[in-house]
Amino acid sequence: MDIISQLQEQVNTIASLAFNTFGTLQRDAPPVRLSPNYPEPPANSSESATDIAEQPKLMSAALVKAAKQFDALVAALPVSEGGEEAQLKRIVELQAENDAGGQELQKQLEAAEEELKQVQELFNQAADNCLNLKKLD
Amino acid sequence: MAATATYPPPPPYYRLYKDYIENPKSAPEPPPPIQGTYLLYGANYTTDEVLPSLEDQGVRQLYPKGSNIDFKKELRSLNRELQLHILELADVLVERPSQYARRVEDISLIFKNLHHLLNALRPHQARATLIHILELQIQRRKQAVEDIKRRREDAQKLLKESLGTLDGQ
Repeated sequence: MDIISQLQEQVNTIASLAFNTFGTLQRDAPPVRLSPNYPEPPANSSESATDIAEQPKLMSAALVKAAKQFDALVAALPVSEGGEEAQLKRIVELQAENDAGGQELQKQLEAAEEELKQVQELFNQAADNCLNLKKLD
Repeated sequence: MAATATYPPPPPYYRLYKDYIENPKSAPEPPPPIQGTYLLYGANYTTDEVLPSLEDQGVRQLYPKGSNIDFKKELRSLNRELQLHILELADVLVERPSQYARRVEDISLIFKNLHHLLNALRPHQARATLIHILELQIQRRKQAVEDIKRRREDAQKLLKESLGTLDGQ
């Protein structure tokens, strides 16, 4: 896949990681005490404490890794300096060179076809002579 | 028994192409390509495909405007902004959960800017591809010229040799 599509995919990956992170945290967060009037909510932890502490670490590590990957892809962008005008100038130069090369090729081709015709003519004459000689024998 | 609709008949101007085999010019030419704007299924489309700027879509542009934008620098700084905003959202959700909306809006604004920058890189990529193709073509043509020259020289050498052997006989 070309580099710009990879960058676009990476942006979308970062977005999906971000909202997966927040969604998971929101879904799995234990109830919290909002006001001093209400009693402390029952904390039923057994394996939930370790999991709930692990998940943010893993997810945020994945998020930061995706962001670093994005930076690496940006560094790999082959953006040439000079911008649009420089590119257009180069295209015009290359087109001129291409036309010159094409004409040279055409000249060589015509000369080669000319020589081919001559050789074929000579070959026909030689073959005719051979046949005539054979007939005379 | 269900009644099925038949296909629509072919357009009536097929009769104009009756003698196309004998005389291709006796039949009307196909219509020329459309220029400018055209109407399709009730919506207006333009033939000039250009990326609409962010202001046209009502989105604030975060990176500096200019004719020559340093894409790498802007992409990297937008990435950093994005990370900071995600962190800010996490903080807001912990301390003042009711104020998430503004932060979420900021994050989506950054994403829109990122995608717009990437789309703006596409014309540059197209021109670079064109340059690459032209260079390849020039190289191929040069190679072909060299090949033809070499073959012609080989053929001339063979002819001279054969002339020599014939004369020797």
